[in-house]
Amino acid sequence: MDLELLIDALVAGLLLGGFYGALSLGLAIAFGLLDVPHIAHPAFALLGAYGAVLMQGWFGLDPVLSGLILALPFYALGVAVYSFYHTTFERRGTDAGLRGLAFFFGVAFVAEVILILLFGIDQRGVRAPYIGRALVLGEFRLPWRMLVASGVALAIAGAMALWLSRTYVGRAVQAVAQDATALSLLGADPVRVKRIGFGIATASVALSGALLVVVGPVEPGLARIYIGKVFAIVVLAGLGSVGGTVLAALLLGVIESVMLSSPVASWTPAVAFGLLLAVLGLRPQGLFGR
Amino acid sequence: MPDLSVTDLHAGYGAVRVLHGVSLNVRHGETVALLGTNGNGKSTLMKCLAGLLRPSGGQILLDGKLELGDVPPQDVVAAGISLVPEGRRLFPRLSVEENLVLGAFRSEARATMYEELEKAWETFPVLREKRRQVAGSLSGGQQQMVAIARALMACPRVLLVDEPSVGLAPILVAQVIDILAQLKAERGLTVLMAEQNFQQAARIADRGYVLVHGEVAFNGSMAELTESEAVRVLYLGV
Repeated sequence: MDLELLIDALVAGLLLGGFYGALSLGLAIAFGLLDVPHIAHPAFALLGAYGAVLMQGWFGLDPVLSGLILALPFYALGVAVYSFYHTTFERRGTDAGLRGLAFFFGVAFVAEVILILLFGIDQRGVRAPYIGRALVLGEFRLPWRMLVASGVALAIAGAMALWLSRTYVGRAVQAVAQDATALSLLGADPVRVKRIGFGIATASVALSGALLVVVGPVEPGLARIYIGKVFAIVVLAGLGSVGGTVLAALLLGVIESVMLSSPVASWTPAVAFGLLLAVLGLRPQGLFGR
Repeated sequence: MPDLSVTDLHAGYGAVRVLHGVSLNVRHGETVALLGTNGNGKSTLMKCLAGLLRPSGGQILLDGKLELGDVPPQDVVAAGISLVPEGRRLFPRLSVEENLVLGAFRSEARATMYEELEKAWETFPVLREKRRQVAGSLSGGQQQMVAIARALMACPRVLLVDEPSVGLAPILVAQVIDILAQLKAERGLTVLMAEQNFQQAARIADRGYVLVHGEVAFNGSMAELTESEAVRVLYLGV
């Protein structure tokens, strides 16, 4: 591989990784901090993507703006889903993890079927000034849609890191999985804390879902290919670390991108899990876990 | 009027009855020791007081009117009672400072968070040095200090301390007791402390209750308990 091709792949990989980061951050909270096995996370992102498609059809809105607006109803969706999960599974203890996994698998499946019924199986996309154009820097062409996705991803990461470290509820979200009883002894209701945390995680998914349709057209089954990637990133990062999640996402993006332009391109889909297995074997707390 | 009064309290876990009608009271500004060897119900009583365990009978009153015992822990904290739990229960992956700040979670406590934090650094200078370290990396004695400091961040009127000496070397036990004595002198805190180390408890407590098989077997001033033949037999078996 010549150098120019390698640099090209590296840059494309960083942009792809930024987008992966946006998709993974909500899960870093829901699974990494709150211990909720939320495999419907990419399915929710896809709902956000179709939400952006609808908002453009109805009001002609920019997809990223739609994502911001959708964050509010998605917060409510997150609160509702967590409340249901807590009442039916989590509160009953012991095998909540496994049964919760089945529950969220069901939620993801239902979301997919609803999308098929409403939109059919054809691909849907959106229009925006930054889609279909590229920033040309000398030899390199950087697609604006990827630059926007990465930029928004960094903004989500920054907002989330600030929220987790600077607000009382954010700190409590970090604490609740470490010791919920101790948290209640400080005057916080652990269930309420988790409800808000899950709501915020789901709100962020609305925005990252909008990025999904900015990056490329969407179809109802698209969420499935992201489940493995986002879980790999969150576990790779060390559960619940925002900065770690972004770095792990960038790492995965770069490795996938470099492999895609190599002779072993067909192995690319195996990268996420290969990396995950290697890290879990060598450093079980994740790359950036403390 | 006592700050905290417990009347005929019964509690247990499922079919196992642990407390059989315990009555005690803690008056404003007092330090009261809850004594007795392991397995006699000290921690169970503490859990009832903090709202972690629902009593099966009896009454817990704060200031003679506010009824506790059937309310969740966060409401007990709001009423002005904070528990330093057995085993400290810090958030091991959060920093010392983050642990303390979370102590001021309740909205009334947030207003005074920075003042209380400053007070905590003054009381525990060693914690100020380690404020950025994760709590799980501290020694047992320092972790106990964090646990006490964290409970104080809620500005409690009554501080419950469950077995502060458990798992600590004797010299550290003395250190923790010194700190409780200092807090008592500086802040006039009302304290109920469960402790099996009689000598250490005697250094700061005004009065004590000795729990045996879930009942109060003896109570009185610490001087009386120290003199008591029966208490000595109970503790030393001689």
